Amino acid sequence: MRFPRFFCLLLLLPLLAWAEPATTVRQVEVKKAPAADAETIGQLDENTAVDALERKGGWTRVKSAKGEGWVRMLALRFGGPGAAKKGDSGVSSLFNVARTGSSGTTLTTGVRGLDPEMLANAQPNPAELAKMQQFAVTPEAAAGFAAKGKLQAKPVEEVK
Amino acid sequence: MNRVLMATCLLLAAGAAQAQFRMPNLDVGRMLDSAKNLGKATKDIGQDEEIAIGRDLAATLLGAAPLVNDARMQTYVNNVGRWIAAQSERPDLPWQFGVLDAPQLNAFAVPGGTIFITRGLLERMRSEAELAGVLGHEIVHVVKKHHLKAIQKGAATALAGDALSMAVKNKNAGANDKLVSFGKEMYARGLDKGDEFEADRLGIVYAARAGYDAYGLPTVLQTLQAMNAQDSGLALMFKTHPAPGDRLEQLGEKMQPTLDANASQPQLAERFRSQVPASK
Repeated sequence: MRFPRFFCLLLLLPLLAWAEPATTVRQVEVKKAPAADAETIGQLDENTAVDALERKGGWTRVKSAKGEGWVRMLALRFGGPGAAKKGDSGVSSLFNVARTGSSGTTLTTGVRGLDPEMLANAQPNPAELAKMQQFAVTPEAAAGFAAKGKLQAKPVEEVK
Repeated sequence: MNRVLMATCLLLAAGAAQAQFRMPNLDVGRMLDSAKNLGKATKDIGQDEEIAIGRDLAATLLGAAPLVNDARMQTYVNNVGRWIAAQSERPDLPWQFGVLDAPQLNAFAVPGGTIFITRGLLERMRSEAELAGVLGHEIVHVVKKHHLKAIQKGAATALAGDALSMAVKNKNAGANDKLVSFGKEMYARGLDKGDEFEADRLGIVYAARAGYDAYGLPTVLQTLQAMNAQDSGLALMFKTHPAPGDRLEQLGEKMQPTLDANASQPQLAERFRSQVPASK
């Protein structure tokens, strides 16, 4: 009976600490703090294996063979060493297949809910739609909700 | 993250096949009856028609998966979504948001301002800013009418074949067949990648305008990227979307300044956690 307990602990791990194997997808500076103007304390080459420990805004604290520091979160891909390289790992090739939508790769069976078959066979449920409309909120209520969260609207330009 | 296209075509196909699919105020036969006028006809879909189309599509999606039976959670997601939609270029649509009781990870935009997110995706999130990023992405699909453009394209392709003459001669009898055929065509194609990347970029902008930490959407994409690509809960999303890694790369190229300028805004992780239970 030791194994079930072991697996339970495994399930709890993400709640206790976030340390996920990741790989750099480009050469990246390592900062002492999560900010662009923070001191640069090192550099990691492309495709370096790291452990991601924590995220703050656009920065992720990582631990590598060279030590700890903050790198751009967008420079990281998860899934272990090699995952970021095209075609050299199972993870990567599976992503490619999924992207091109080739047949026979993403079929789901035995899963309830929103899989392609369920959608194709769906019958309209107007009663549920009527229920949904009851949950809609007014713009004024949403603005009050935003204010409670100290959210402030501000102009931000679209990037084409 | 929007499977608008997928949803649209599946629903069109399913509805038409059942001969129960109606589009109030939208005369599909007229829309399809002339290749010459097709582009114009679909471009001229007005807001009322768009909302009517969306109503039928939303009802059918809800036939695939009902709402999560949690009024508090539904209201919470509506508050977040309505606040973000108010920052968009179409603030006055009848926006409504629903959490679908499905374990898969996905979100859908329906013409006219109806947005769905699955329980599976919501439970994988860690903050309101992440939810804001995903809802922002879906809101873009509605604002930019990505699904209506896809319908227009699909209709044009369907009419290019021998279906054309039938549609011209017989205004209504062939209409459902046309819907099925271009619905299937769209289902196979998915939304244009460019539409998805646009929704990623502008969705981030909407979330930032609403005052959220702009890194919400990239964070969700990283969560998806870290998941096993074989996870059956991701099948539909991965089939209809560029890979999360590609989407992150695109964001890195164009959005870094916007992201950094809006990185220190609230994430509201605690408020989120108080409304949405963590993944089981």
